Amino acid sequence: MKNVSEKLVWDKIESFNNEDNIEIDFEDYSFSKLKIGIKDDSISTKEINEIDMDTLASVGVNINEDSDSGKYLLFGEKNYVAKPQFAGVEILPIKEALETYPEIMEKYFFKAMETNKNRYTKAVSETVPKGYFIRVKKNVKIKEPLHAGLFMHEEMSAMSLHNIVVLEEGAHLHLITGCTANHTLKGGLHVVVSEQYVGKNAKFINTMIHNWGPEFIVRPSTATVVEKNGFFVNNYYSIKPPRNIKMDPFTHLKGENATAKYMSILFCLPDTHSNIGGTVLMTGENSAAELVARAVNYGGTIVQTGLLIGAAKNTRAHVDCSGLMLSDSGIIEAIPGLRAMHPDARMSHEAAIGKIDTGEVNYLQSKGLDEMQAIALIIRGFLDIGIEGLSPEMEKTIKEIAELSGHGEE
Amino acid sequence: MLTINNLHVEVQDNEVLKSVNLEIPDGEVHALFGPNGSGKSVLIMTIMGYPEYKVTEGSILIDNKDILELDINERVKLGVGLSEQRPPTIKGVKLKNLLELIEHKDKKGQLYVNDMIEKFNIRKFLDRNINDGLSGGEIKQSELFLLLISNPKLLILDEPDSGVDPEKLKKIGGMINESLRDKRFEKRLPSNHLNRNSGLIATHSAAILDYIHVDKAHVMINGEIKCYGNANILMDQIKENGYEYCINCQHKNNM
Repeated sequence: MKNVSEKLVWDKIESFNNEDNIEIDFEDYSFSKLKIGIKDDSISTKEINEIDMDTLASVGVNINEDSDSGKYLLFGEKNYVAKPQFAGVEILPIKEALETYPEIMEKYFFKAMETNKNRYTKAVSETVPKGYFIRVKKNVKIKEPLHAGLFMHEEMSAMSLHNIVVLEEGAHLHLITGCTANHTLKGGLHVVVSEQYVGKNAKFINTMIHNWGPEFIVRPSTATVVEKNGFFVNNYYSIKPPRNIKMDPFTHLKGENATAKYMSILFCLPDTHSNIGGTVLMTGENSAAELVARAVNYGGTIVQTGLLIGAAKNTRAHVDCSGLMLSDSGIIEAIPGLRAMHPDARMSHEAAIGKIDTGEVNYLQSKGLDEMQAIALIIRGFLDIGIEGLSPEMEKTIKEIAELSGHGEE
Repeated sequence: MLTINNLHVEVQDNEVLKSVNLEIPDGEVHALFGPNGSGKSVLIMTIMGYPEYKVTEGSILIDNKDILELDINERVKLGVGLSEQRPPTIKGVKLKNLLELIEHKDKKGQLYVNDMIEKFNIRKFLDRNINDGLSGGEIKQSELFLLLISNPKLLILDEPDSGVDPEKLKKIGGMINESLRDKRFEKRLPSNHLNRNSGLIATHSAAILDYIHVDKAHVMINGEIKCYGNANILMDQIKENGYEYCINCQHKNNM
């Protein structure tokens, strides 16, 4: 006979397992509608109200004026692309890109990832393609970040996306992709396939920011291929988690001296389940991978996983998962994984889960901060992981996450 | 300024301070001597309000106001400032981040902060994590800088001279004297006016007292104040005869 508190633990484990393996019924979200598509699928920014614009801004996507270059928005099923575009950069709705450039189908469309990787990639392959195609031409270096917004505006709708990013040799790009929904919506299904190609000597910083309602289900599947001397940074911030998200973006460091960095920052609320991973396969000699994950948990469930696979000479890898528990009811599971498949692979990992050190809070209070300010400052420090391409807006967001967490203690 | 009456303090259910009485009048600086483990830091942390130090009896007054119910930061607001002996390092939190939250918002105050940054060579610490990888002397420098800019009325310094090389000690002494200077009276009083903030300096070596004038010293042994008197005379006697001398000294019966 289990005692009451032990039973609570077993119940928690059971609900953890259920939520982690949740079966989504696509038809709960009228997914089959997406197999037909709509006739007129373009939208102007004038048709989008200010509140939705503000919501997009909260995920780093500023689409205010028609004249802004380097902006893409998918609003429900409708596309907006800012004109004119930067020289040497193409941003197109994926459907249009497939019609315009036959080589996309041959070289990039379900080429980094298999159609049948999982039931979500399969589902995406069966819908009319939505999402963006971005190509940066050889040696074109874009300094300003491009913004791509993926916005859901109907209750219990589904969004199915296939995004493709191609950086040709020597190209540089920072892309901010913000995924969110109208702030009054409770639920929806967001399913994504992203394929990214980082050419020789190219540098791609991909920052993804999520802000969801309480009943959303999110299933992104990402595959990135990095060629010789290519540099890939994958930043992920979750400002407000959906009910359930599971993702394990895969990167193949194919060329020698290729580099991948994954940085993730999560803020987790009660009744949400975030399973955020990352897998990097290193087959290029001297390639290097680093995965740093930080989670601040106010009562939800967080699984931080990372698997770095060293399969070539002189590959280097480090994985670091850390979580802060701010509530008695949450769960954090850290699974930093390393797999050496070559004797010259050098790999290390670290993981730490704990609560806020009261000694640190007391110390900061003795310098004049009140308790909330002290906690917020400590969390800001915890989240400071030296993210590449961090814009002032994102610094502000991190500050807000820290402040929110501080108030969570009340 | 500070009045402590019959203070009893427990740490993890063990009584560490036993009936401590101490009075520091306005403008006076007192030293607190005592061997390692005698309870000096416990007294200091209790004055500051650290929750793990539990007051079971007695009172602590600042300007005749009982502060025992106040949080740490509320005591700071009343004018209490602490420089810790072993402050924690806080991952990712840079000194400048903390400074942004506590520095004066008015222009004059900011100019003063900038002056102090230059005068006491603080700039190199601003972009570093608080207390991370600093030497003993550098930690004191950073602590005293934070104290200085908050301009407390009562400075509490826990072993400001431990782990500090002689050259740096002079600098530390300079920072303490700057902190003790009562900046509120500056405008109204002549430049030779000696009005100071109050202070309590715990030190077991008394090395810092070569640079700071103290009005009086107390000796703490096993959680009790056993003796008081002139700091230099007391320290000479302690150096010659050990702390045993204080236990039996002439003031004991008068306390």
